[in-house]
Amino acid sequence: MNDPAPAPAGKVIPVVPVVEDALYEVRKRIYPRSVSGAFATWRWILVWFTQILFYGLCWLDWNGRQAVLFHLVERKFYIFGWVFWPQDVFFLALILIISAFALFLFTAVAGRLWCGYACPQTVYTEIFMWIEEKIEGDRSKRMKLDEQPMSARKFRIKATKQFAWIAFALWTGFTFVGYFTPVRELTQSIASWSLGPWETFWIFFYGFATYGNAGYMREQVCKYMCPYARFQGVMFDPDTLIITYDAERGDPRGARNKKLDYKSAGLGDCVDCGICVQVCPTGIDIRKGLQYECIGCAACIDACDQVMDKMNYPKGLIRYSTEHAIKEHWGKKEIIAHLMRPRTFIYTGILGIVVAGFIYGLTTRIPLRVDVIRDRASLAREVEDGKIENVFRLQVMNTAEETRRFALGVSGLSGIELGSDAVVEVPAATTKGVVVRVLAPGDAGKTGSNPIFFEIKAINHEEVFVREKTTFLLP
Amino acid sequence: MSSAEEAFHSMQRLIQVLWPSFIVAGLAEVAFFTLIDPQELYLLGEPVHFSTLATYSIGFFGFWAICITSSWATCFFQRRASEINGLPDGGEVSGDRQSGCA
Ligand code: SF4
Ligand code: SF4
Repeated sequence: MNDPAPAPAGKVIPVVPVVEDALYEVRKRIYPRSVSGAFATWRWILVWFTQILFYGLCWLDWNGRQAVLFHLVERKFYIFGWVFWPQDVFFLALILIISAFALFLFTAVAGRLWCGYACPQTVYTEIFMWIEEKIEGDRSKRMKLDEQPMSARKFRIKATKQFAWIAFALWTGFTFVGYFTPVRELTQSIASWSLGPWETFWIFFYGFATYGNAGYMREQVCKYMCPYARFQGVMFDPDTLIITYDAERGDPRGARNKKLDYKSAGLGDCVDCGICVQVCPTGIDIRKGLQYECIGCAACIDACDQVMDKMNYPKGLIRYSTEHAIKEHWGKKEIIAHLMRPRTFIYTGILGIVVAGFIYGLTTRIPLRVDVIRDRASLAREVEDGKIENVFRLQVMNTAEETRRFALGVSGLSGIELGSDAVVEVPAATTKGVVVRVLAPGDAGKTGSNPIFFEIKAINHEEVFVREKTTFLLP
Repeated sequence: MSSAEEAFHSMQRLIQVLWPSFIVAGLAEVAFFTLIDPQELYLLGEPVHFSTLATYSIGFFGFWAICITSSWATCFFQRRASEINGLPDGGEVSGDRQSGCA
């Protein structure tokens, strides 16, 4: 274990491989010290924002249904005014590509912004640590408590924490499942004790995952389990904003007497207080340089700025900067000037194209889809007055959120006509199968298959129109 | 190896097998059920009669089980000769295998 951190408060945390903590490594339990400051405020704003969104959005209604619902049983995704069907998998793919490139772009520009501020792992860890601090007390109190043998008091404190954690985790699990099964139905079935076995299972599964990841695994998830943490480095370049310790300014480090001029004593600005290490949720020392464990949470910036304030030194010994900027002593202006570089151009370009394609696809999407299936039982049949009949099955998918009537038509052969009802009514966002008989004179085309077209048009909505090709068999 | 270290190694190995297979099973699940409607599946010649949610869930655990087997097989084949022979390897760590993955 490598930790050169000055022992906080004169105490070395022993390397005790408690099994619950040794999920991935014989790790020292990290007791992050809480921190306040500009970046901490931002982190909390994002915690609130993402969580109000997550816990609240499933309760929002739209068009008389849940606004955002990935209805697994109906196999339909509702997102405000849109309804996506399995046939719209193309849009899903585009969303994935957009997310990936947005992530690449953010990473190239400003490092692990996602990790530090928006990733559920960070956000839940933050919330769980907040609960822990409220119940168990601050960092030194927590460490003391853990060292004590079990007592009635310790048991009470630990039990309260567990209760709060588990309650929060279960609510999270419930909310999660509420995005895949209508959340109001879910609430009702819980209230009436009739929750389905699989819903129950997934609520507990997700709840347990939240509890384990945010309560215990914490930084180990980022260090060992997160695929993004492993490859984010390839998107970095010397102009990427990263959390940096200004070694030139800070070193040589050391404790000092406030009355003496430290510069003449040959010391840099770092007082070697170790606070930056204590606040780090991943337990690293940023002064050693950028490490892949750093999730870019900026807690060490806030912490060190406070120390600098106390010492009356300028802030920013640890700050957001770039490798180039540190080396060349650039200011803000040059850093911003280097935002535009081939890498960011390429990411922005691809992102722009895919977003444009997505918007185009979405706005020109026709809320109607028709699948034509030939009736396999009867190929071609001669009916009255020498006409030939073919039977088709049309699957009419009305993806609009209102009931619509569709007029059917057929063309492609002279004298071809429908032998059954030409109007079909389909309720909102549903599929209706209709059996359609088509008649054509026996001499309308060549023997064998002839191309024909079904035309389906929404009555009162001229623009909702599709034309589907199929074949008509003549004996 | 101390018993704590051993416990840690088996825990690490367990996660190394379970976790990547979990991710891949999730991807497989999404891809599979986006393309295939659970109501259209057949099981031993009979249409699947489970509820949709049950089919998805069983599907997920099926994928997970398959992926676990594969991850475990990877770990299994990564064992060093000395580990298979059961002879002490003199503390040498050959570079051909990630530590903790046995
Ligand atoms: S918080 Fe700042 S002054 Fe204190 S050890 Fe870290 S870098 Fe040095
Ligand atoms: S080094 Fe600083 S920014 Fe990185 S994870 Fe630790 S506290 Fe957060």
